[in-house]
This record gives sequence, C-alpha cells and structure tokens, in this order.
Amino acid sequence: MVITDKERVRRLVSLPDAKASWAERLRQSRVAMVGMGGLGNASAAYLVAQGVGHVILVDPDQVDGHNLGRQILFQPPDIGRMKVDAAKERLQQMAPEVSVRTEAVALDGDNADELLSGYDVVVDGSDNWATRVILNRFSVRQNIPVVFAGAIGYEAQVSVIKGGRPCLECLFGDTPLADQNCAVMGVLGPVVGMAGTIQAQEVLKLLLNTGKPLQGRIWTYDAYRGISRIVGFPTRPGCSACGGEA
Amino acid sequence: MRLIINGESRDLQDVRTVKELLDVLGVDHQTVAVMINGEIVGRGDFQKSALETQDAVEIVRFVGGG
Repeated sequence: MVITDKERVRRLVSLPDAKASWAERLRQSRVAMVGMGGLGNASAAYLVAQGVGHVILVDPDQVDGHNLGRQILFQPPDIGRMKVDAAKERLQQMAPEVSVRTEAVALDGDNADELLSGYDVVVDGSDNWATRVILNRFSVRQNIPVVFAGAIGYEAQVSVIKGGRPCLECLFGDTPLADQNCAVMGVLGPVVGMAGTIQAQEVLKLLLNTGKPLQGRIWTYDAYRGISRIVGFPTRPGCSACGGEA
Repeated sequence: MRLIINGESRDLQDVRTVKELLDVLGVDHQTVAVMINGEIVGRGDFQKSALETQDAVEIVRFVGGG
C-alpha cells in the first residue's frame, strides 16, 4: 500500500493555524542533519515521518552495539555499517518518497559551507563543542538557522540560532568548553531522544514559519530532578562570533 | 545574602562573587554560562563579578553529548 503525501500530513494540516501550502512546503524543504547519533536519529525520524522532502545525513562513524539503546533507527544487523547508510535505508522505509543524500565525513571548517549550503535548516546532532562552533559560525555567516541540542546523563538542552545576535557563543563564550563523553558520563536513551524530538519541532516551526522559535532562549531539562526551564539570553557585547552589539 | 538562583530563592552566606557562588554550589566553572539579572557574565569575569542581594542568577550548564 502506498501512503500518499496527503495521508501523511492529514493530521498536520488539521492544526488550527495550518495553511493549505504546508504539505507542499514540507515536501520541498531541505534539512541538513549533522551527526547521526541519538539526536540525529530521533530528529530525522520525526522530520521524515512528518513529510520533509529532502535531507542530507553527515556522519563519519559506523553503528556500534552500544548505540542501540538510544539510536532508534539502527537495528542489530546494522552494527558495523556506516551510520548514514543504515539511517538512509530506515528513513526510506518510513517514507519512500523522501530523498536522502549521505556524506560519511566529519563536518569541519573547510567543508561546512559546501555540505550545508542550499539547506533551509541545519540540525546539530554533534557531540562536541568544536563542531558546534563551526555550525554557530556557519549560521552567523550564512544567516541559516541551526537548531542546537545536547544531551548527557539525565540532562538535555535545545536552542535555535538564526544568524546570531544572540548566538551560541554569546551564551557559552568563545573559550573552548570541556567536552563531555557519553562513554564516561552515560546517558539515558529517552532523554537524548527527547532533545531530538524538540529539535524536530523547532525545525518544523521554522520551515512552516509558525509559532515562536527557541531563538535567544534555551530549553533545559533535567529528567533526574524532573525540572524543565526555558531561559532567555541576550547578545553578549564583544562576542567574537556574531559581533556583539544587539 | 538572598539570591534567586534558577528561579528559586536561596539564602547563602559568605558569597560575594560569581566565583564564590559557583564554588559553594560545587559547579564546574568551565562548563557553564552565568547570567546576572539577564546579563551574561564572561567566564573570565567570574572572580570580579560582585553579587548583590536579590540578584537573579541563571546558571546554565553546557550539555555536550549527542
């Protein structure tokens, strides 16, 4: 049975603020997924299921057994395959009409513009500060929105950067941050999935130009203590990434 | 001194600067953003940033995994 595009978006276009153009808008949308770990898995699954037409998956790694507790696109037979290949296959099972480009490389300062130009929104599914700085500066330089997220232990956070003022480095500074490692600190699988699905929501809001983005605000969640907060943050004067003055 | 920390009112003794506050709370200086009354305090300025009673302090830890 073929699920038509119309069926896939039937409940989406029933939303009170929906416009007739939304289904086609999503079908033409292009979303770049940088990193196919726990964040990228969850956000890609929901974006493709909801009807986003074009995605690029960027990740240099192979599926490992310890990924399976949270990276829900992957199954045991995928162990040892490139993450982007296994994810592409699964996403195309979910939505045969989606076009998926794969790049089994690490994003860096040299290839970011080439890989990400032409996409409407970038999803940060990376696991380190250096890649997030590259994505933050890409957003400032190209004025393309990047939906940032992170998750470790029982904690998660999400924030949207759209051309800067403020940007991610306004908040966390331009000195290198100590990276945290899931291998050392552990992570509760559904917590990273939750951050990924919040990212997917922010991407859809941006693509459909609806709602209020998490721009200049950061959503934070602590599952252990059962606390969620959304904290606003201003432009930091003298920020070396986005120039400072608001 | 009474401070509003992440939305909760707390009474803390002998806390004069952001650095002393983070030390009392046991928070790693290298992984956090701090705002006082909505203004961002650079990580290099924690030691010289004085706190006053009733200041609203937001401490946001960078969560880096993915």
